[in-house]
Amino acid sequence: MTSNREDNPDCEARTPTLLDLGEGWRSATGKGVTVGIVDSGIDADHPDLAGRIVESVEARLDDKRVVFDPSEAGDSAGHGTACAGIISRIAPDTKLFSIKVLGTGGIGDGQAFLAGLEYAINKRHRIINLSLGTTKPQFFSPLHDLLDRAYQAGCVVVAAANNLPQPSFPSVFSSSLISVVKSTETNHLYFGFNYGEVIELSAPGVNVRTTWPNGGYRTLTGNSFACPHIVGVIALILETHPDLTPFQVKSALYDLARRRQAF
Amino acid sequence: MSGNDELNKKLRRLIDTVDIANLLTEPLTRSIHDLLGVSAGELNAREASVLIRDGEDGGLRFLAATGEAAPTLLNLKIPAGKGIAGFVMSSGQPMAVSNVGEEANFYAEVDKATGYSTEMILATPLRHNDDMIGVLEYINRPGEPPHLPFTPEEMDKAAHFADAIASLVNAYESAKLFRDLGEKIVGTDEDLDITSVREWLRDLRSSSEHSEMMDLAILIREVASRGESERRICKEILESVLRYSDSKSDRNFLSL
Repeated sequence: MTSNREDNPDCEARTPTLLDLGEGWRSATGKGVTVGIVDSGIDADHPDLAGRIVESVEARLDDKRVVFDPSEAGDSAGHGTACAGIISRIAPDTKLFSIKVLGTGGIGDGQAFLAGLEYAINKRHRIINLSLGTTKPQFFSPLHDLLDRAYQAGCVVVAAANNLPQPSFPSVFSSSLISVVKSTETNHLYFGFNYGEVIELSAPGVNVRTTWPNGGYRTLTGNSFACPHIVGVIALILETHPDLTPFQVKSALYDLARRRQAF
Repeated sequence: MSGNDELNKKLRRLIDTVDIANLLTEPLTRSIHDLLGVSAGELNAREASVLIRDGEDGGLRFLAATGEAAPTLLNLKIPAGKGIAGFVMSSGQPMAVSNVGEEANFYAEVDKATGYSTEMILATPLRHNDDMIGVLEYINRPGEPPHLPFTPEEMDKAAHFADAIASLVNAYESAKLFRDLGEKIVGTDEDLDITSVREWLRDLRSSSEHSEMMDLAILIREVASRGESERRICKEILESVLRYSDSKSDRNFLSL
């Protein structure tokens, strides 16, 4: 049995393209792709988001267990609405699902965060936007288990890197999710892949103008806003290539970034 | 023990408790305030403030602030998860926001209370041992508009200041625990309102007359420590002063 290297002497000179995405995805709109946004809720009445939020739920503590009820609370912080705006600008026909875990009160943030991720996995949302994280070591193991479950279930989890100089979970888990750090790129469709870095992807996250509760807009900076840019691009890819596995999606992003042919 | 003696004893305990509490917490709040001022200058921010946990549900209250709106801010609270500070507190992630004042927003209430106009915010978490203990905020740029938004580099710089301020906030909260405990112990057998006592002491001690009296007391103590003859001379001089004062004002002489 010969290796690819022996079959192809030029392989060291170039990185093989494992996926041929074709051109169709470039004009896609994310139609039919479901995205779970685990965050502070979404203002479903915002004009830019009207009709795009399929379901809104929020965490509630029920006898020491976190359960999710239908929510009309909207977004008290603005963060989730900002992420939803970025995704829907890139992929306007995605179906957005709001899973509110912040600002619900009375529940430990880490506990609600884990429960929200599990809820999104159980719902089999094709992409899960995690512009959140935790630095608490006690969440390392349960988050790792959940991310593995997501990977096996075919859910593509995209997480924002910690903005502070310390590792946060799950963004440092390199195998089972896609982690994103902010770049100063102004083209919101341009992203980079830093192979070998703990946080592999970079996307616009500095002075990003996006939706805000009460029909408003804000200009925001943070890794949180780089994450939904990648979610949007993945939604475009998955519309035309719905059977891609999380591993293949990551490979496709790598390939696109390398060839700088994203847009 | 007479009623007056009992009251005096209770009042003395209250004053001691307040004094110890102030000794513990005031230098810390002063240091936090000073560091806020220095860091605001470094980040080219107009104002800065520190919010800390208020209760167990994730709410926040202002502990320290710079600028004209500071006295009003110190009475304000932010409910759990509300606004940019609420998000930073619950997510542990910093965030920079521009165009805050574009339309009705979560900070409208704060702006209304302070008379201030929030245009941009850089908010970063205060952590101690991986626990969120508060939020550090920088508000607006100085000078005339147009103003540049806060940059990623300033966000990193703010995180370094946050480390130092978080240590002070943690020390403040430890001192406050002691203060609250002291007040609780005193409060168990007191009908006296410790808040009123605290305000009365603050008013008393902020007066120039009180400051002069403290200087005089320190002077007498210093003289008294020099020896018996110095004490005797000091006593005679003070008695002479009192006799002179008494002769001028018809007040009764009080023997020392």
